[in-house]
Amino acid sequence: MKGKILLLLLGLSLSSAASDPQAVLKAIVDNQRGGGSVRATLNLSVARTDRQTQYVLDIVSDGNERALIQVKAPPREAGQAFLRDGDNILIYNPTLKRVLRLPPSGRSDSFLGSDLSYSDLSGRDLQRDYTPKITAEDANNLTLELTPQPSAPTPYGKVTIQAKVKGYVPLEVTFFDQRSQAVKKVTFAQYAEVNGHSFPVQTTVEDLLHSGNRTTLVYSDYKFGVSIPSGCFDQRALVAGC
Amino acid sequence: MVHPSTPLPISPSSLAALPRLAWRNLWRHRQRTFLLVAVVAYATLATVLFWGVQDGFNQSVLNGNARYLAAPALISTTAYADDPDPAQGLPNLDFLKRVQAVPGVRAAVPRLEFSVLLRSPYTAQAAQARGVDPALESKVSDIPLRIKEGRMLERAGEVVLGKELAQRLDTRLGERVVLDTSALAGSQSAGLRLVGLVDSGLAAVDSGTVLIDLGQARQLTGLKTATQVALDIPRGQEAQVTRAVQAVLPPGLRAADVTQLLGALTQTINQKRGTIFVIGLIFSIFAALAVTSTVLVSVLERTREFGVMGALGMSPLRLAQMITLEAVFATTIGWAVGLVLGYGLNTWMANYNVLGPVFAGYGGAFQTLGTGGEIYTAQSPVYALYAASTIVLAALFSILIPARRMLQLEPAGALRAEV
Repeated sequence: MKGKILLLLLGLSLSSAASDPQAVLKAIVDNQRGGGSVRATLNLSVARTDRQTQYVLDIVSDGNERALIQVKAPPREAGQAFLRDGDNILIYNPTLKRVLRLPPSGRSDSFLGSDLSYSDLSGRDLQRDYTPKITAEDANNLTLELTPQPSAPTPYGKVTIQAKVKGYVPLEVTFFDQRSQAVKKVTFAQYAEVNGHSFPVQTTVEDLLHSGNRTTLVYSDYKFGVSIPSGCFDQRALVAGC
Repeated sequence: MVHPSTPLPISPSSLAALPRLAWRNLWRHRQRTFLLVAVVAYATLATVLFWGVQDGFNQSVLNGNARYLAAPALISTTAYADDPDPAQGLPNLDFLKRVQAVPGVRAAVPRLEFSVLLRSPYTAQAAQARGVDPALESKVSDIPLRIKEGRMLERAGEVVLGKELAQRLDTRLGERVVLDTSALAGSQSAGLRLVGLVDSGLAAVDSGTVLIDLGQARQLTGLKTATQVALDIPRGQEAQVTRAVQAVLPPGLRAADVTQLLGALTQTINQKRGTIFVIGLIFSIFAALAVTSTVLVSVLERTREFGVMGALGMSPLRLAQMITLEAVFATTIGWAVGLVLGYGLNTWMANYNVLGPVFAGYGGAFQTLGTGGEIYTAQSPVYALYAASTIVLAALFSILIPARRMLQLEPAGALRAEV
């Protein structure tokens, strides 16, 4: 009986999300985040027309506003670390042996030469800045169109998200400029079931304005919902690790 | 030639008689004297006008730049002058009424300047944003007058950008840019609609202007007041009125006029003035040579007359002194006439924008100087001294050339001279 009620509630929940674009967006973002705290290894591959660079990063996040990223490879980059606490980003440079605060003017700079910026690390929220609308839906997939809210701090004209109808698993996010030209595409693949969410293990960011510029992020050794000591998010951890 | 019916009043050898003799000689040769006076008057007028235009142009560049880059005068905290950060902003604006009551202050307008990062979908640019009162800013700045596309701000949520900055961001009118900042309120962001493009021709303005609503600037920075109060002061009175404003300000606040605000530009102009001074001196030397050549021709024409004077007992030294005095008298009269004409013309051009339209003909190259299309001449008593250098030089050259010739004069030979 309890099982039937649970299924009924789940069905109600999904049908409610289907009729409410905001709820659909939330479900998609929840899947994308994986939910809760995480410890993981991230393989970051930065492709350019003339070269390709591979990074190995250790990531610790409380699932909210705080995250610590340490570069483990390649050797010449190893030791660098990045600490995000809300909108503040601190950088540890092992060559200088100094911790630097990233100024606002540096937030658009490329993170490790990839197609991600430091602003992307500070997690701009699609739910906060946009108004979603379901523009297409069939039995398998749906498309959400996100329009920026008035005075929202986003330079994009619109964002489209494609997701599976079942479980609202994110497939692709495309960012458009204000002239309806696609400028950035994020594609998700290889999903893992984590805390009831379909977490995309592989994410590919493609710069559509510069052909051949592509960044691929692949998570491994991930553990969600683990307890992370608060000491992992202070300056000592930035230097010594966590 | 000495008029036969006019006897010499005193002994030609008397030193005291020389000035009177020289003075009378001037009017015995009216045409020649008129020519000499006209040459000197022209040189004086040109010198006064040269410096008036030169200094006026520099002042116009300074004032024009002030009305783009700063204001005729600015009030800020002394700490802000050293460290321009909103954290060093004005503690309150209670002094505004006292400042507005100072004679010469036509407007006092609060501003809030802070560092920002502007983002478009394609790129990002660091800049200095200025929060302004859209209704008042045009009283202290020419930037609102240079919005060539779109319009001035009307409300929060809008931004006016320099044209080059907008091009670098690849943002068009009506599109949104994101402004990020970090000040007293912590990290803040806002999406702003681009409503106006500034095209002043001045690189610093066109590539650096970011105007947003003052209220929104306060919200983004967390500063409730302003970082500065910009003052509108009549041209030429900036230093004097700024001193008067300083007297009514509470401790810890500083009023700075245009020359203090644009220190680098002022320094450049002063360095340039040194070069111009040399050019002015060369100009004076040529004017003095023109006077000397006129005196020399006059001496050559009057050789027989000098022969008669020498035969009557006037020594060559006295003759040389007389010639020099004649040159000094004529140049002094020309100097006085030139001063009247020069200062008169300068006054006219100091009150009417005669030069602006003339220089505007040079187009974009001229526009980059930031005079805003208005150029007025300057006035200074020192121009009279600069022009007087022509007289001094003329006197020196007269001693060196025509008077020296007189020293070698032989009365008998001179009487036989054909000229």
